[in-house]
Amino acid sequence: MKVVLEKINNPEDEGALIKALEVTEEIRSAMELLENNRRSISVTDKETMDYGEVMMLGTDLIYYAESVDKKTFVYTKEKCFETRHRLYELEEILSSNFFRCSKSLIINIRKIKTVKSELNGRMIAELLNGEQIVISRNYVKDLKRKLGV
Amino acid sequence: MTKLKLIFNQTLMIASAILFGLGVQEAVDYLITGDAYLRWQWFIPLSIILCAFVCSVPSIIFMDDISTGRTFKLKVVLHFLCIFAAVSLFATLFGWYEKLSEYLIIAGMIFIIYGFTWAATFWLAKKDEEKINEALDDMRDEE
Repeated sequence: MKVVLEKINNPEDEGALIKALEVTEEIRSAMELLENNRRSISVTDKETMDYGEVMMLGTDLIYYAESVDKKTFVYTKEKCFETRHRLYELEEILSSNFFRCSKSLIINIRKIKTVKSELNGRMIAELLNGEQIVISRNYVKDLKRKLGV
Repeated sequence: MTKLKLIFNQTLMIASAILFGLGVQEAVDYLITGDAYLRWQWFIPLSIILCAFVCSVPSIIFMDDISTGRTFKLKVVLHFLCIFAAVSLFATLFGWYEKLSEYLIIAGMIFIIYGFTWAATFWLAKKDEEKINEALDDMRDEE
């Protein structure tokens, strides 16, 4: 793709225009990078006294999201929040860096420190905060496809 | 649909493994005697396919991705025993062997092919692990 850089003097005029036939994964990633991963979702803090108060959480802070008993929880490095979004909705909202690793979990690929394969076909992903998440056998293919391996 | 696909794939793999075993047996026979012919009755090829299909069923029952540790090992043993029993049954019913020594060769083949399949699975999984970790190195966030 041809890239054109035009120097400007006014910071308020800064912006990027992408001309493309369709919004591919690469273009989506580029857009997220340019937007500085500013996409966010509404959540409520489970652990503080302000439970019930809605706040916005940047999607780049999310490690993984889990569905438990029809409730959806999102996990950051140290905290857990509840969100009104269903897991399938989050899959659409969140960036291409996220992928479904089991029926009830979606995970941020950028937060995976390492993966370890097991003989039963599944993989264990160790996250940057030390937590371990199971990637089901049926979803390992999706991860490989997403990473292009 | 996933289970049907698994049964189909397993049937193909097991049938290929049985044919491979027979092929090796005949090749060895030829090398030793210098003269080996394989003549089958009409039902033998079909019995191989049927046997492969029956052998694929234990995979559905035992080979999940939830079991770990001792449960997983126990399920692998049960899986092997089911396959061993199925092949032995088909070999006896359809006359795949005439002498005990031929049956022992079949038994040995089951053991070798089963072990080889797990070794290959382990190797492929490790290769996948390496590739995924390399790809993750390029995109991991810094915390």
